[in-house]
Amino acid sequence: MLELEVVVFGAVVIGCATAFQLARKGHRLVLVDTNYQAGFGSMSNVYAIVATHCASWTIIQMVTRLFSAITRREFLKATGVAATAYAAGPLISACSGRAVGPVKIGVLLPYSDIYAVLGESITEGMKMYFDEVGNEAGGRQIEMLTEDSEIKMDVAQQKARKLVEQYEADLVTGIVSTGVLYGLRDYFDTNKKMLICANAGGNKISRDLKTPYIWRVSFSNWQPNWPLGTWAYENVAKSVFMSAPDYGAGHNMVDAFANSFQAAGGEILGTQFTPFPSMGDPAPFITEIRGSDPPMVFCFYSGGAAVTFVQSYGEFGLSGHIPLVCAGFTVEEDVLPAEGEAALGALSGLHWALMLDNPANRKFTAAYKARTGKDANVFAVQGYDTGRVIVEMLNTVQGDTSNVNSMIDSMAGISFDSPRGPFSLDRNSQNPTQHIYVREVQEVDGSLHNVVIEDLGEITDPGDDSLG
Amino acid sequence: METLLIQFLNGLVSSMLLFIMAAGLSLIFGQMNVINLAHGSFYMLGGYIGLSIVHQFENFWLALLLAPIIVSALGIIIEYVFLRRLYGENRHLEQVLFTFGLAVIASDQLRRIWGSYVEAVSAPLELQGQILVLGISFPVYRLALIVFGAMIALLLWVLIERTRVGAIIRAGVYDADMLGGLGINIDLIFAAVFALGTGLAGLAGVIGAPVLNLYPGLDFEIMILTLAVVVVGGLGTLRGVLLGSLLIGMADTFGKALLPEFSLFLIFAVMALILLVRPVGLFSLNRR
Repeated sequence: MLELEVVVFGAVVIGCATAFQLARKGHRLVLVDTNYQAGFGSMSNVYAIVATHCASWTIIQMVTRLFSAITRREFLKATGVAATAYAAGPLISACSGRAVGPVKIGVLLPYSDIYAVLGESITEGMKMYFDEVGNEAGGRQIEMLTEDSEIKMDVAQQKARKLVEQYEADLVTGIVSTGVLYGLRDYFDTNKKMLICANAGGNKISRDLKTPYIWRVSFSNWQPNWPLGTWAYENVAKSVFMSAPDYGAGHNMVDAFANSFQAAGGEILGTQFTPFPSMGDPAPFITEIRGSDPPMVFCFYSGGAAVTFVQSYGEFGLSGHIPLVCAGFTVEEDVLPAEGEAALGALSGLHWALMLDNPANRKFTAAYKARTGKDANVFAVQGYDTGRVIVEMLNTVQGDTSNVNSMIDSMAGISFDSPRGPFSLDRNSQNPTQHIYVREVQEVDGSLHNVVIEDLGEITDPGDDSLG
Repeated sequence: METLLIQFLNGLVSSMLLFIMAAGLSLIFGQMNVINLAHGSFYMLGGYIGLSIVHQFENFWLALLLAPIIVSALGIIIEYVFLRRLYGENRHLEQVLFTFGLAVIASDQLRRIWGSYVEAVSAPLELQGQILVLGISFPVYRLALIVFGAMIALLLWVLIERTRVGAIIRAGVYDADMLGGLGINIDLIFAAVFALGTGLAGLAGVIGAPVLNLYPGLDFEIMILTLAVVVVGGLGTLRGVLLGSLLIGMADTFGKALLPEFSLFLIFAVMALILLVRPVGLFSLNRR
């Protein structure tokens, strides 16, 4: 039977050093940690068995359990320390036996600030799909662990680490803003953890920054805007003034629209990039647009900024006089009620519309309304589809999340009829192949909605910057 | 040229909103020596209460009347229950911690009550649409806002410079203890000033809503601009606040118009420049 002299808690810097020195002196010891291998977790949680103070609540709990156990052996059994751990080598790290419990899905979304609604809609959509399948996939229960990423890179990075290292999430999903997605890219790439993006559309993640570990269920920023550029040239006007927030997504969307618009022969009269995340009073921007008197305006705004921009567009009398063509988020269902009549007639390109007529969408929109009391929006659809992609992937690997490569392999085959229409994951761009629709804001039964006026067909991200 | 004129009017709109906010902040500081970092929260509260009143009674004017009073009342409670314990020399850190904590709590509570959707408040029917200014159309509501802001500035000036209450307030700025020794109830004056300051923030929230809308996070955005105003203008004087809000409002507007990518930078550049030339702000009061 195992006889130990010392138990060291916490296998990080101090714990490893302590264990190493003790082992060199010939003491028989075991190094225990709640993480699955040495080197994770905070650096202050070391606790030698004879020490008189503790560094964290977890350790206090472990120590309490230790002293309340009748024998040392029972304690070891209770904490699941492997019995083979003997101080033969300089360093032994023992991990607790990992029974097949629930699949832990880390959900990293903003629940505060301007993108809070997006975070909430995505979560609600995802929960709805998980509920539909009884919260089970691949023979395991599904457990969602949500964290507020805000829209700050450092906060998101810290929360991602917390999800992966502390909560041992099997995969992470969510991510609303492109900046956060890019900021997390290297972490998931180096740690070989899977990240399934439910919103952020930054093109680069399908292109230069592509990694096998990050897949996207939402869209690339290029996707809805590139086909819209050609369409706008043919159907609305031959020249345009463009406005978008000054961050990755804003530039992506404007570039994609400009690429096909110019290729068709269109002229760009001016481009304006506004402060992000918030532009404050939009009047100066709207005044500049009005001053250049364009026959058409293209813009991309999302969330609160969309309401602010579109309302001001109406307030200064541009609505109804200068056609507003936009990336669909600008007039999506989450912001449309607040925008009101100023949005009437706005033309937008997106991969979904509330009024899109297909069986999956009819079922989805009705169920979402019954569940939340609100109309669905594109973010809820993305959350719902993300839930579905996760479940299908877990079913394919039969709940085995220990092999990330087989998880990746099963992604490319996924295709189904989404509320957005035919949906499949493209192996090249690791992004959906999906239809893009031109929608027009119209009054339907007394309230404003996006009505699909044209289906621009199936669009796949090129996987490089050749088309903007 | 036309665009420039409109931008100037846009700048005035910004300035007036900031003035009403910063006047409250500056008044509280001048009188009570407290930097109220929760000032933005009172703005939001005013805006949201106004929103609820507009939804309930479909009357913007009622919101304009009631919301600031409700915010003031809450201000009095907060002053009486919490802030009163934090007065005194060298307690700025405690005050800042308290008011900032209050702002964080308020931001969560506002979101819990009014949700995280962006809420738009329409201008009152009488002030909707556009009006011709020298032959160029400009939203009526924004023009009214400029006039309203100028009126508030005038009223505040009369109150502080031309009335007995104002004289007491000004005296309190210089030496509150001595004022107490003259038989003035300092506690009452402090409560009244805090009520007035928070009420002004609430008022700014109501009239600002049709321009800026209401959404989580706006409290901190507006707070930063307001702080910029008092840094530029100097804390504690109405003149400084007015000049500071004009400078920041114009810098914000013309920054956005001419250099949209750098507009926020421009505000801070103005701030840094003034701090270099006059570290106490343009018109700071000389506290003894």
